[in-house]
Order: sequence, then structure tokens, then C-alpha cells
Amino acid sequence: MALSLYLDHPSWLHRRHPVAKVLALGWLFVAAFLLDHPAPLGLLLVLVLAATASARALSVLHQMRWLLLPVFVFTTIIWTVFYPATADGPVDRWVAFRYGLGMALRLETFLATGFVFLATTTIEEFAFALSRLGVPYRAGFVLTLAFRLVPVFLDAALTVRDAQRCRGLDFTTGNVATRIARYAPVIVPVFIGGLRRADQMAFALEVRGFSAGRPRTSLPRPGMDGSDLLLLGVGGAITAVVVALRVAGIGRLVAQ
Amino acid sequence: MSAAAGRADGPPLVVRDLTCRYADPPAQALAGVSLDAAPGELVAIMGASGAGKSTLLRCINALVPSLAPAACDGEIRLGAQALLGAEVGRLGGRVAMVFQDFEAQLFSTNVRLEVAFGPGQLGVAPDEIAARVERTLALVDLADFGGRDPSTLSGGQKQRLAIASILAMEPEVLLLDEPATDLDPIGRRELYAALEGVRGGRLVLLAVEHDVDPVVRADRLILMQEGRVVATGPAAALVQDVELFLACGVRPHDLAVLGRRLGCVLPLDVEGAVAALRARGLPAAAAACPPVEAPPAPPASGGAATPAAGAAVAGRARRASPILEVRGLTRVYEGGTRALDDVGLALGAGEFVALIGQNGSGKTTLAKHLNGLLQAQTGEVRLAGADLRTLPLERIAREVGYVFQNPDHQLFAATVADEVAFGPRNFGLAGDALAARVDETLAAVGLTAERNEDPFLLRKGERQRLAVATVLAMAPRVLILDEPTTGLDYPQVRAMLELLARLRAAGTTIVVITHSPWVVVEYAERALLMRGGRLVFDGALDDLLADEPLLRSAAFEAPPAARVARALGISARTVDALARALGAGD
Repeated sequence: MALSLYLDHPSWLHRRHPVAKVLALGWLFVAAFLLDHPAPLGLLLVLVLAATASARALSVLHQMRWLLLPVFVFTTIIWTVFYPATADGPVDRWVAFRYGLGMALRLETFLATGFVFLATTTIEEFAFALSRLGVPYRAGFVLTLAFRLVPVFLDAALTVRDAQRCRGLDFTTGNVATRIARYAPVIVPVFIGGLRRADQMAFALEVRGFSAGRPRTSLPRPGMDGSDLLLLGVGGAITAVVVALRVAGIGRLVAQ
Repeated sequence: MSAAAGRADGPPLVVRDLTCRYADPPAQALAGVSLDAAPGELVAIMGASGAGKSTLLRCINALVPSLAPAACDGEIRLGAQALLGAEVGRLGGRVAMVFQDFEAQLFSTNVRLEVAFGPGQLGVAPDEIAARVERTLALVDLADFGGRDPSTLSGGQKQRLAIASILAMEPEVLLLDEPATDLDPIGRRELYAALEGVRGGRLVLLAVEHDVDPVVRADRLILMQEGRVVATGPAAALVQDVELFLACGVRPHDLAVLGRRLGCVLPLDVEGAVAALRARGLPAAAAACPPVEAPPAPPASGGAATPAAGAAVAGRARRASPILEVRGLTRVYEGGTRALDDVGLALGAGEFVALIGQNGSGKTTLAKHLNGLLQAQTGEVRLAGADLRTLPLERIAREVGYVFQNPDHQLFAATVADEVAFGPRNFGLAGDALAARVDETLAAVGLTAERNEDPFLLRKGERQRLAVATVLAMAPRVLILDEPTTGLDYPQVRAMLELLARLRAAGTTIVVITHSPWVVVEYAERALLMRGGRLVFDGALDDLLADEPLLRSAAFEAPPAARVARALGISARTVDALARALGAGD
């Protein structure tokens, strides 16, 4: 089962230094978070989509459409419907709709940026960037292990479910509580298998020197180049503009 | 060439009077083990489950007792460094280990990064890591796979990657704990070829093995039993001691057994054995006669007298009224992979069928169609004439039982008896009838005494038999088993196969997916050979064994006795049949 979004082909975004990509990702998240007007948020999303297309990574957004489309539709509708009334009078539905649209575009920007990051950055690069930014090595490694293990556990769970179906366990009838109770014969073997695997992995990690206590090294990595600095500069500039607009009170739907 | 070849000899590994007792559950795993291994040596360790082989390896690389609570005493040294009780991390990669489960020892998303992981943990300079990555990947023949995701490699490639990732740390001792157990014949061959490439130099190689075939190439063999070394010596000489092997619960080499039956010592390679037999005037003119296939597992009752006769009876039954019929079965996975391609077959009552082929050839996909876990996309599967797609899975499960490869995938209950009762209870059996079914089934698999035990505390062989019992309790007419002997020692494998032979004699159709050639030739009478999703052979096993080009194309290798028989022009596939044909007595 493939859970990885990484696209293994060369592109300008793949080649960027992982630290530059993580920082640029952070800049864009901050910018999207500070905006609530659909127009600048839409512009930001268009920029992200353009970067995605130029990195030949649009397929990842297509792959995740099952999440992106419902989030967009439901966020717009829910905020439009539940936009709060104020003491000044009834809810202006046009403002409510624009606010809902803004929220949906903000979430889409978060998601799309994250997906494109994962499509162009290996988990090891991500962990490396985190460690360079001060996150403990072990925390970054746990992240890489999670990406490695999730498909393994899902695969084990599907196998166990099949094994129990072969013994007449029916997951399709009965009320919700009954169906949940029927998952015990699946959960127990998956859980115990998980513990055994965790033990084996701990052994294997120790054998590979995980606790050697020496300064860690890695394959040679090129340092940041001019393109990386440009990426950082563009991301920083966008965020700086957004902060300035926010401070000036320009382009906001909801006054703070 | 070794990864470390060309350097001065390294330090020897010395183990003296090693004892080890686990705390939970309490068990004396090692009871005074001593051994020496010199740099450049390949030392093989064999023994039944529980002999202490894995514990010995884990003590040597300090996983025990530092990560698994145990009381250990004695001495383990690598040169001047004491290993027993050391912190694993402090060994600095001098002692490294490859485990049986290749999935549990790969952590990275890219082959090159996987190999770089260990040296990186040891603080090796980046340029040197890059050089080691290239060198070790070339050594295990994975140089062209550097950019691949390890999860996309075959089992054999993954295990070779695990070895490369250890070799890149440039250890002085490499321990291998049954590294070939989960591999198909091709994967095994690739693995042993890679190991031949790293032998020598300053590396001490210690390999625990169940299969005697690769062990004959070792410099030395150690046989263990109940935590003790019972014999040690040059592998090629010790392998000839059939009684010792059997006493230690290890399957002896075919050609050692044949030599013993004939009252001589035969070389352990097929060509050498054939030449030696010819030099002795064998086969005599009378011996090169039509097949004399002795029954290795005589049916208790109701079955055919011999596998050959069984095949004839089952063939008639199959044609007359097949239990399962597959026609034009094709399955194409998302992405266009053709997992099954126009497969057709029929299974009759009381057959013992071996479903063989390389990993990824479609065996499991076909088997999952036979019990309705997968539904036919194109073509059809019929159970007693009814299309499986029209039957509920519960109905199919009562007729066609499926035992998964890993018994732990289906065990969850608090006791062995509850585990066995689960299936029939789901089908509405209750009260005395259910109790009687559980009793019968436990007796059939020899687990009556363990009925109140926790399934997870049973030994691997017992858990495997329990897994069979959980399916057997539903009284299926067809029993499909996916690699039922993986991870079992020889006595456990024999017990499992004898159980299947008894079930078959009682009329149950047995379909076994297996990579083990000797299991196929000793127990099956019919073979289904899959290659690239196509059923390329369906017929009597003897006919398959006679078709060497076909066997080669499917990477299946007959056991040594069958190959010697063929080279001598004798139609026998087991040691017993060959010995009889060559004039040996019982």
C-alpha cells in the first residue's frame, strides 16, 4: 500500500535545500494564516499551484482530491451558514460567503503547500531539515519511522481482517456497537504483532549504531545555493507584505 | 572480494562457558557454550527451535542482556574487547547482525540512504560514507538499485540490502540469524551468492541456518541442542553424521542419508554424488528400472496407498466431480499488473497439491480466489458447481479453509480452546456439538494438553498447528495453507506435514503454497506451477520434475536426491525411493 506522496523525478523544487523548503513552507503557512480575504488568499493559492505545476507535481493534488474538494466545499458552506451575527444587525450573507470562501482557500493553501512539500522532499530530507533547525534527531527519526510503519501496519490489519473473515467473522451486519466489538479479533493480533515488530526494530536499530553516541553524519549534501536563497526571499517577502497589510488594516474582512 | 578484504587479519571471536537464563518466561537458553571463530571463517550454527542459537548470536552482539532481560555469565571477547554485557551502542558497529525479518531492519525511503544510515550513526565522514555505499551495493549486486524505495524490492533484494547496510559499517563480526527463511529459492540463491562475495578477509561470519544445503559450504559447523554445543567440526564432514543431525532436530542432507543407506560416504554435491555412485557400479542394470516410489506418509485409512496411486484416484475424482473449478481466471491490479492470466484448474476430493512458483508469481492471489477473499474479475471460480460470487464468504469459508502464513495474524483469544471454537461458533455451532468439535480438532493437531493455555505463549510450531486447527474446526473440504512450514524446525515441519497427510487420507483436499522443494516431493502428488501470473504446469509431480527447463524457468530446484536420480536415469524423487532403487534395504 503506497502512502508516500513523494514523486521521484528531478525538478527545481526537488533540488532545493531541505532547510530552505521547510522555512519557505513556514513562511507560506504564516501568510495564509494572517489573511482572511478570499482575494489575496486566492492569489497565494495560485502561486502555490504555479510552483506545483512547474515542479511537475500537480498529480499529487489530483491524488489527494478526495480530501481537497470536500474540505473546500464544506468549509465554504459551514462558514457561510454559521457566520456569527453581530450587535449591529443581521448577518450579511455576502460577507459571510466571502469569509467562508476565504477560510476554504486558507485551508486549501495549507493542504496544497504541505502536499507539494511532501511530493518534492523525502522524509529523510525533512528530518535532516528539522534537525538543522534545532529539532532533536530522534524526533525527526520517529517521523521517518512513522511514514515507514503506517503502510506496514495497515497491510497487517487488512491481512488479519481477511484471516478472521475466513473464520466466519462478519463485519457487515449488526449495529455500530456490535460491529466495533467484532473488531477485537482484528485489533488484538495487529497490536501484538506491532509490539513484536517494535521489539525487532529496536534490536535492528541498535545494531545499526543508533545509540552509538557519536556525532552523526550523512551522505554529502550540497549547501544552500542562490536559488535556495531566492526561494527563501520570495517566501519571506510574501509574508512581509501580508504582515504589513495586516498592520495597516488593509484587505481584511473581519476587523480585529 | 570482502568489504574489508586486503586489510590485516582482524581479532578472533572467543566465547567461553556462556550461560544465559531469561527471566520472563523463565528459561535456560544457554548452558555453557564455548566457541572460537577466526577472521575469514564462515561458521554455521544449526539446531532445533529452543536450542539457543538466536540467543547465542544476541549475546555476541550484546543485544542480550542489554535490551532483553536475562542473567548471563561466562565470557565473550572480540580481541581485547569484552562483549558480554556491553552496551550495543558502545560496540561502535564492530559486531553487527542481519535478522530473519527483512522488513523490520529497513528504515529508509531510498536504498542508498538505507546503506548510509549505519555509517552515519557512527560518525563516518560524508565522503567515506558515499564510497562505502557504492562499494557495498556493488558487493551485493544492488549497484543499479541505489535510487529505489526499499519497499519496492523483492524479498531477496531486501535481505541483500540489509546485508549491505551492515557491511557499510565495516564490522569485524557479521551475525546472520536465519536470513533466508522467508525467501523464495531465487532469493536464497542470491543471498548465498552475496555471502560468498563477502567471505574471507578480516570478517568473522556466523550464520544460523535451518536448511543444510547452504551449510555444507561453511568452514565449520556447530550443532546445538538445549543450550549446549553438542558437536563442532568441518561442515562437510559433520554433515555426513545423519544420526547426529536427527538427534539435534535438524533435517539431514539428502546425499548424506543416501550414502548411509548405501553404506558409503557420498560427496554432497549432485555431480560428485552421481560420479561416486557410477564409480561403485550403480545403478546396477536392474536398478535403472521404472519408478519405485515409496509412500513417505502412508494414509491412515481411506486414502490411496501411495502418492502415485493417490494421484490417479484423485485425478478420476477431479474429473468426475470437482470441488473447486477455475476457468479463465484473470486479475489485473490497479496500474496494469496482471496478477493472474487466464488460469484454469480443477480440484477434486482427497488431493495433496503443491502450489509453487517465485514470489510475485500469483500463488497467493490465486489461492485467495479459491476461498472468495478475492472475487473473479474475469473468468469464474465454482464451488461444487456454484459461482463463488453468488455465495456469501461464510458459506465458502466452511467449504474452503485458508490458513495464513503467519499464525499470529489470526490468534486473539484467551485460550487455545476458545481460539478453536471461534470459527464454528460463528457458523452457529453451540453447546455439546461445539465442545465435541473443539475436542476432535485439538486431538487432530495434538494440542489437547494445551487447551487452556494462552495462544500467544505457545511455541511457533504449536501456534502454527493451532492456526491450522482454527480453520480445521470448520470442517472444510479443501484446506489451503500459505507457507505453513516457515520458521519451523525439522520435527515441527514433519509434525505439520504428517497432520496434513492424515487429513488428506481422511478425504480433505490439501493445497500447500511452499518454497520448500523437499516438502513438495515428499508429500504432494500434484503440482501447480505459477510463473508471471500464468499457470504454466498442472499435473503429476513426477512429470514436473522431469521437465528441467520448465523448473529452471520457474526458479524451482528439485532436492538433491531427485536430481541425482534423474542424472542416473532413475525415476525416484525421494531419498527413500532412490535408495531402494539403488538396492539399499530399509
